[in-house]
Amino acid sequence: MITRLTQLAEFVKSSGRRYRIAIAWAQDSNSIGAVYKGVCEGFLEAALIGRKPEIIKVCEKENIDYSGLNIIESATDYEACRKAVDMTRSGDADIVMKGLVGTDRFLKAVMDKESGLMEPGAILSYVCAIDVPAYKKLLFITDPAVIPFPDLDQKIAMTRYAIDMARRFGISKPRIALIGATEKISRHFQSSLDYSVMCKMAERGQLPDCIMDGPVDIFLACDPKSPEIKGVRTVLEGDADILVFPSIESCNPFYKGLMLFAGAELAGLICGTVKPVVLMSRNESLLSKYYCMALACMMTKGSKN
Amino acid sequence: MLRKLEDLKTIVANEPVKKLVLAPAHDQDSLGAVIKAASDGVVTPVLIGDTDGIRQIAEENGFDISGLNIIHEPGIEASVELAVKMVSRREAEILMKGKVGTSTLLKCVLNKEWGLRTGKLLSHFALFEVETYHKLIAVTDVAMNIAPNLQEKIAIINNSISCMHRLGIMNPKVAVLGAVEMVNESMEATLDAALLSKMNQRDQIKGCIIDGPLAFDNAVSIVSAKHKGIKSEVAGDTDLLLMPDIEVGNVLYKSLVFFAKAKVASVILGAAAPIVLTSRSDSEQAKYDSILLASAASKK
Repeated sequence: MITRLTQLAEFVKSSGRRYRIAIAWAQDSNSIGAVYKGVCEGFLEAALIGRKPEIIKVCEKENIDYSGLNIIESATDYEACRKAVDMTRSGDADIVMKGLVGTDRFLKAVMDKESGLMEPGAILSYVCAIDVPAYKKLLFITDPAVIPFPDLDQKIAMTRYAIDMARRFGISKPRIALIGATEKISRHFQSSLDYSVMCKMAERGQLPDCIMDGPVDIFLACDPKSPEIKGVRTVLEGDADILVFPSIESCNPFYKGLMLFAGAELAGLICGTVKPVVLMSRNESLLSKYYCMALACMMTKGSKN
Repeated sequence: MLRKLEDLKTIVANEPVKKLVLAPAHDQDSLGAVIKAASDGVVTPVLIGDTDGIRQIAEENGFDISGLNIIHEPGIEASVELAVKMVSRREAEILMKGKVGTSTLLKCVLNKEWGLRTGKLLSHFALFEVETYHKLIAVTDVAMNIAPNLQEKIAIINNSISCMHRLGIMNPKVAVLGAVEMVNESMEATLDAALLSKMNQRDQIKGCIIDGPLAFDNAVSIVSAKHKGIKSEVAGDTDLLLMPDIEVGNVLYKSLVFFAKAKVASVILGAAAPIVLTSRSDSEQAKYDSILLASAASKK
């Protein structure tokens, strides 16, 4: 079982495989820097798609040896996105990553029904593995980035993605906390109603094997002392692996708070696509960006786990 | 454990005899059951109605009404009003419908000044003795609430739970019935069932163990539940079946009675006192058993 992000990176490095990553609109020191570390460590092979002279300029400025990088000329940002997605779709790349282009334009290419990377009928979402020094293992959280107010079906999809990711980390029966402000059911909180339904679905075997409870607050989810203090019976025992949040507005500040105040690092990935799609925020540290790459490699189909 | 409706007599025997007020009492259909219950010491009746009518019915049927408390009030609504007021003043513990339409009786029960309102929802509670089940099984709501929403289902469960506690069933197992035991977004009943289960886990509904959705078979048969791989404390050992709506409830009620030859007792709960509200089509035995149930469920 992988319990820290450093282990994730080691795991990918030790796989002996080189994952091919296509970066859309790559003239961006952030993206190139993150990928370059993986290239140097031998588990990534990068195709940088964008304005060639600008990419070279960035590399020179950052002291990056671009002789081993595959630089592909593209005139516009959307064309670069299309090209990166095409390469990934056709199998010339394993992973696609957003460079300097806006998220909406990038996702438009990813989500294109004809030529994109969506699983048929899938819901697009986002799952992050966060490494918080104060917690004994990784926490998988969803969705901090894609679905603003998930409905029941979307919450179920998010949960399935998180379970799938946790399994890759060797957690065969993850403990899933469905996060709310309190543990009570109230018709004023739609999430508490959805959560009740999901718990019953888990109980009836309608979801992949897991231990689920919700609504619970973060304490009941992650603090083993809390259930007794609060007098709440929960199967989670303060030992959650996965936290499902009711909205972006709750999930996003949660992880950012942890990064800013608690020294957390993360690895996140778009879910619902046929191949890993890396989409990182500029705020993320270089280390988190590196972990995102490693996660994408791990989630690539055919990777050992 | 209660296996037969007759077992309710042990509860009744250990408590002071309750007073039951029947109105209007000049009623061929209910008078016999009341008089039999009185002679068995199940209740002490007060008969409100047209005295001549009562006497005539008694004479024609050979009922012994000597020594019974009979109050003359020939007016239908007036007699019900009087009965309700007696219960309201705690001069009687059980109200029973005689020769009057249900709507008139309920109108009096729900009267804001002198009725039996408690702020709770009124609900119907039926207790069945089925030969093929290992204990008594309660069913709600088969007659009163047409299509209860979640809040109403909670109220119906709570009414039933406090009644069952009175009957000594301290932590009843409640099965929230659906057509399937899986959660299905297009079946509202299964979603409500999931919510009720979780609210029970969170102590928002106390004094019972709730599971649902359960299909009828896995609610009452452990073999069936095991066959479906359902892990549940309730499955196969249900004490109370919560119906999704009145159609399901009513059909189940009647099929148990007509096809399974089940015995049944029923009361209306949620008012200040249990109300016996049997219909003409109920058997004499069902009326008697309902009085017995009301007596066991009421407090003196």
